[in-house]
Amino acid sequence: MAHHFVTSADIPVDGERLVNSKVESAKRLAGGTAALTGLVSAYFLFGPSEKITAQFAYSWLFAFFFFFTLAVGGCFWTLLHNVSNSGWGTSVRRVMENLGSVFPWMAIFAIPFACPQVQKYLFEWMNIHREAGGGYFDGFMAGFYGSDSMKAALEAKHEGLLVNKLWYMNLFAWYVRFAFYFIGLGLVIRTLRKFSIAQDTDPNPTTKNLFKARFHSTYTLIIFAITITFAGIDLLQGMKYEWFSTMWGVYLFAGAALNSMAVIIITCALLQKGGYLKTVTGPEHFHIMGKLLLAFTIFWAYIAFSQFFLIWYANIAEETSWYLIRNTEGWNTGSIALVFGHFVIPFVILLQAWLKRNPKLLSIMAGYTLAMHILDHYIITIPERSISLYRMANFPTADWMKDLAVFKDVTTSVPGAFWFDIFAFIAIGSGFLFFYLRALTQTAVYPHRDPRILESANVSN
Amino acid sequence: MSTTRKRVYGYLAEFSSASALYKAAEKVRDAGFRKWDCHTPYPVHGLDGAMGMKRSILPWFVFFGGMLGTATGFGLAYVTQVEIYPTVVQAKPVNIFTVPAFFPIMFELTILFSGFTTLFGLLALMKLPRLNHPLFASRQFHRATDDAFFIAVEARDPKFSPDGTRKFLEDIGGKSIELVEEED
Repeated sequence: MAHHFVTSADIPVDGERLVNSKVESAKRLAGGTAALTGLVSAYFLFGPSEKITAQFAYSWLFAFFFFFTLAVGGCFWTLLHNVSNSGWGTSVRRVMENLGSVFPWMAIFAIPFACPQVQKYLFEWMNIHREAGGGYFDGFMAGFYGSDSMKAALEAKHEGLLVNKLWYMNLFAWYVRFAFYFIGLGLVIRTLRKFSIAQDTDPNPTTKNLFKARFHSTYTLIIFAITITFAGIDLLQGMKYEWFSTMWGVYLFAGAALNSMAVIIITCALLQKGGYLKTVTGPEHFHIMGKLLLAFTIFWAYIAFSQFFLIWYANIAEETSWYLIRNTEGWNTGSIALVFGHFVIPFVILLQAWLKRNPKLLSIMAGYTLAMHILDHYIITIPERSISLYRMANFPTADWMKDLAVFKDVTTSVPGAFWFDIFAFIAIGSGFLFFYLRALTQTAVYPHRDPRILESANVSN
Repeated sequence: MSTTRKRVYGYLAEFSSASALYKAAEKVRDAGFRKWDCHTPYPVHGLDGAMGMKRSILPWFVFFGGMLGTATGFGLAYVTQVEIYPTVVQAKPVNIFTVPAFFPIMFELTILFSGFTTLFGLLALMKLPRLNHPLFASRQFHRATDDAFFIAVEARDPKFSPDGTRKFLEDIGGKSIELVEEED
């Protein structure tokens, strides 16, 4: 390695802290924006206008899931780093932990999805359940696998598909799972971060915390896998209960791992630019992270194509409807842009080894990847909006749907709703940024007393 | 039967350890030699940098080989499945937009062609296979696969001189310096 060999004499005894007036003002600005836009969003979601709530519910889901994947990905990289007993990334592990630590806070932004007032526009199966009028808690395990009275009520309405799916798609189980995602993975990442921080102030640092984190990262990876898979099924696939894809969970995971790595790369590059992390990270670390970015770009394409290909081959109406919407009219342009923009272009660019060793250029690529992730999630969530609202407006099954008459003529998209999407993105994005910066300033920038910090600082690949 | 004419291949110098070889390689590089090489029993990390070796052109061969594979896969599938003999399955369209069905073939041929270009490009760049190498004439050279570290400077190098190069190799710590001659 070209630069000087790092020894413990180079590492400050009390670690590096992120004390920077720019970061503080960015944090305040993000917090202020989040509070303000959050209040307006609450008015949009719970205010008197059915028309606004109907449109904004989808904007909120799009923005929420985008940032949800980033936070979940932070948990993933922390868990993976611990469980694989890695040495290379100890100097950037704290960034991963801090990104993951935003995850429990995402529960605040998820509250609207637990409210029937918002659910009724997003999840049509919930409307059918509620209108059917069955009970929720009678039956096996207090109705966790579907209550008997709900089954009878759905059968009476000839909702055969929902009867078949009742063991999974019932409101009681949905709420239990919804709570589990945030409590379960939230506890996991908090605990792992606590182990890591405890090491920083340990007067007699040993391998104890490291091994504890490694042990507790094994079985908790299952909690992570359950969270990303079933949160994706409940919140996104649930928008269209007829549709199913066996690749859905892993597709969302591919996007989450890729883009949280992009966030980690950008954070490390900015920290380096601000004069932090310099003793323990260098081109080697960016090279490794760039390789992971390339690997997950390929993995995303592999999964996205596999999902498309399986559905294309099988040609089953319940499955193809998903791509039918997204490959017609304007959405088709977006889908094709995704093929080239999310895979072909970054793949060819990220093949260069020299580029991955340059923090600035790699950050630009990471920012580009994040922009493509926005497009990806926009195409996942937003096309459902006009379809659902059109159906509700033209074929109302309940009185409240009559207020949606304004959507009777919508075609592939709801005119003007784009501004709601941007607003929701800013609202949740500023909240995300606030909690992320808060986490970054709470702790040392890297685990300076970790037994592997020197191994990581002198890594070569 | 005896050979009368011999051609000088160059000097072979032994070094005591990998680190001695590494440091010597840096000096040979800085002295401006071009036609020379290191021979070690195992890969020495960073030696390519110490020898001042440029990045190989092979990745470019592989890139274009792979692209050729992609194009071949697409052409093969498109011409047969769309142009010559359209295969209609489940009423799915047969045109340029059915390209996803060809992706596996395009992918496989990309990998195959890249693999072939890697293998044959590598052999061509290394001028392999060959039956003999002038250094095999040296009695001590077989130790390069056992416990010795060698630097060989070829006589073809413009900076080579019988006395100057020997002295230079001695100065940078070379031992058992030998003038290797190949039979013409």
